[in-house]
Amino acid sequence: MKRETMEYNYDWNLWTILECASKTNEGFCKEYHNLLKYVPHYGPVLEAFMRFGQPGDIFLKLMAGYMKMCVTSKENGKFTALTSFCMAPPILYAFDIVPMCLEVWTVLGTIVLRRGTTEFLDYCCEVGFTETSCSAQRGALGAYLAGLCTQPDFIVFDSPGICDTNANSFAFASAFLDKPMFQLNSPPTLSDERATKYHRRDFRNLITFLEKQTGKKLDFARLKEIVGEIKRQDEIACELFDLASLVPSPLPGMYDLMLYGGKFMMGGTREYTLLLESMLQTAKGIADKNLSGTLSGREKARALFCYIDHYTTNARFWYWIDEHDISMLGSMLFTFWQKDVVYAKEKQDQTYDIDDSSDEAIIDSLADQVSRMPMVKQIRGPYDAPGMMLDDTLGAARVLNVDFIVYVGTMGCRNTWGVIKCIARDLEKAGYPTLVLYADGFDDRVQSWESITDKLNEFISLRRIGA
Amino acid sequence: MIENFKQVARSIFNEYVEAWKKSGKFVVGYPCTYVPEEIIHAAGLLPFRLRGIGISSLSVGDTYFGPVICSFPKCVLELAGNKKYSFLDGTVMSNGCDSMRRLDECWRKADKDIPGIRPGYFHYFGVPHKVTDYSLQWFEEEIQLFIKSIEEHFSISVTDQDLNNSIKLYNQGRRLLKQLDQIKIGEDCRITGEDALALVVANTAMPKETYIPILSGFLDNIETTCKIIPGRKRLMIVGSINDDLDFFKVIEDCGAVIVADSMCFGSRTHHDLVEETTDPVKALAKRYLNHAYCPRMFGYYKERLNFIKQKVVEARVDGVILQNIRFCDLHGSENGIFVRDLEAAGIACLKMEREYGPLVESGRVKMRIDAFLEKI
Repeated sequence: MKRETMEYNYDWNLWTILECASKTNEGFCKEYHNLLKYVPHYGPVLEAFMRFGQPGDIFLKLMAGYMKMCVTSKENGKFTALTSFCMAPPILYAFDIVPMCLEVWTVLGTIVLRRGTTEFLDYCCEVGFTETSCSAQRGALGAYLAGLCTQPDFIVFDSPGICDTNANSFAFASAFLDKPMFQLNSPPTLSDERATKYHRRDFRNLITFLEKQTGKKLDFARLKEIVGEIKRQDEIACELFDLASLVPSPLPGMYDLMLYGGKFMMGGTREYTLLLESMLQTAKGIADKNLSGTLSGREKARALFCYIDHYTTNARFWYWIDEHDISMLGSMLFTFWQKDVVYAKEKQDQTYDIDDSSDEAIIDSLADQVSRMPMVKQIRGPYDAPGMMLDDTLGAARVLNVDFIVYVGTMGCRNTWGVIKCIARDLEKAGYPTLVLYADGFDDRVQSWESITDKLNEFISLRRIGA
Repeated sequence: MIENFKQVARSIFNEYVEAWKKSGKFVVGYPCTYVPEEIIHAAGLLPFRLRGIGISSLSVGDTYFGPVICSFPKCVLELAGNKKYSFLDGTVMSNGCDSMRRLDECWRKADKDIPGIRPGYFHYFGVPHKVTDYSLQWFEEEIQLFIKSIEEHFSISVTDQDLNNSIKLYNQGRRLLKQLDQIKIGEDCRITGEDALALVVANTAMPKETYIPILSGFLDNIETTCKIIPGRKRLMIVGSINDDLDFFKVIEDCGAVIVADSMCFGSRTHHDLVEETTDPVKALAKRYLNHAYCPRMFGYYKERLNFIKQKVVEARVDGVILQNIRFCDLHGSENGIFVRDLEAAGIACLKMEREYGPLVESGRVKMRIDAFLEKI
């Protein structure tokens, strides 16, 4: 790693950038536009959020708040847990533990920093982690392994049984940093009694682990407050999904990142509720005018990304979506499985619902919620089994009336690369033009964004999408 | 005798399987050391560990799997696609790792394009990634479901007595292989790693009733039939699956002898015995979930490190080769930390990435081994 990179802590560096970004809307409009000239490296990514008005501004503040919480955790006497995007954070917040989500930190570095996280990706390899591992964790993990981030007190993750490479990153971190770890473990099925029982026992075991690490008992009063927020957040998210199914979809493309990013960072907190409320209000305004959420207000085509989005520098992925008047209807990360969500209507056995009638019911509900997080739900079993990747993609494609489907992953994703050719065939057979991108959502060196846009443009043109 | 085992190890369909099939009995494939072979055996079927040797292209494997997948499951699918596994009457799929678990779908999908390449009995066996009371319970239930599915498909019944008999027989085989390990680690090494690997591979491809007496006879006479192998550097090999005798041969031809291992075609298959005095299903669950030497079991790094350190001392190892198949991040990453911790303990290490399948890169492997042996 370059010596100058070692001069600044990765998390502190990103936080200061985002902290400044989150304040830009506090001045006048003219001031903001003048400011852009002075931040040439950050202007496009700032504008990527700010152009969506209040929700973009709130999202920037939420990110800055989350990062500040991570960076200042030690001076505030808080415990820190290294964790994964698919591990819902509410239980950690109930213990007043700061969840330092690897993938969130990777995405932020990839989108905001000019060189992305390349030096940290490579640093992982320098200390023995394989270059073929998943870049979603590796991007930020390198900074943690190099001691350039606030260090975790322990590690909590829920990908074993779901994704080896994700789980392996946390197991590696635990062995390398010599930190205690707890894994929530998923069986290959989801909705049968056996799986439910397993998840619930496992979740209780997690609570025991957290109690041991923090020396505190679970505060049920605090947990109830958090659960109240989750219920409200689920209601709003359901409404947003209802709106997404409208033609044209009034949801701006960036909403998918804001919805899941907010959930991964601050699920169960008041800040996330405020973000969702703002997103809903704005989307309803657009829907009232019967417009699309794209910048032009037009909708040429409706896209579904069946796995993840692409996080190239300056959020160029979302710019591309907008420039082509494409309604971005989400990715697997966008999904959550509360019982009232539109795509879950005929799949009630695969859903969760928050029951706050008793302490035990709350714990069961949270266990159910975690086991239905994106990826944790869909790729635990055979891709063509009910409720798994194909079924969920087809279900979302039908409900959201999509015109085409794109797969983007990472070079580390054994699980989806293992079957993506089969999935693409099945989706095509079902009538959905499907593009598999041989790219890495977090590492432009695998395939440059320019090359990816060529592929996307060629695909759209050849398949006459939106013609 | 060794040549006989080598023939078995170098082929997929061997004379013993042929004889078994001719007697009208069934063969069931299994993918990894987390699937209890005793269950297949107790049902009167021949357990046969899936392998991918002898392929010359990956045209079938690459049709269904994506590009960044371990070559082992691709080679297995290639063999299946070319009907080399047509002698299987069934197979078990399992989540040994993500690449292997996707073999389930890819094999099923390929069967739609090339009808008949999937065996009639096709069962998915889920294995937890940690050991707790409830994961053991889950695993026990999974074993019971496995037994039930075999009983239903093959219209047979598996009793506790059958299971107990199989457990005893398999333990007998494991004890002999542990005896082989002891011979390997002795000061006067009398068997090469290549030959020892042939014995271990044959163990997974022959009826136990035939294998055990032959192995026993070999071990009884080893002092008279095998000469001491003098003056070689003593190596331990750790990491991803390898059933390729030539890979070991390339290493040993450089002037070394492989005296110890932590591999799944190796000591991991026979290191632990199954308890013979308790309920057989519980005993199988306990043994198979607890043999935590594969990094698929997350959070057991220290146990695996200590296992290697202990072997290094016992076998007076001069150096450790930590190898992984490309895209096997479980072994590859753990090998990275092993290097750090073993070298800190004064143990010389070589970390190496390779492909499964035909040894197309023997020149590169040889060069690296030569350099390593010079170093130690």
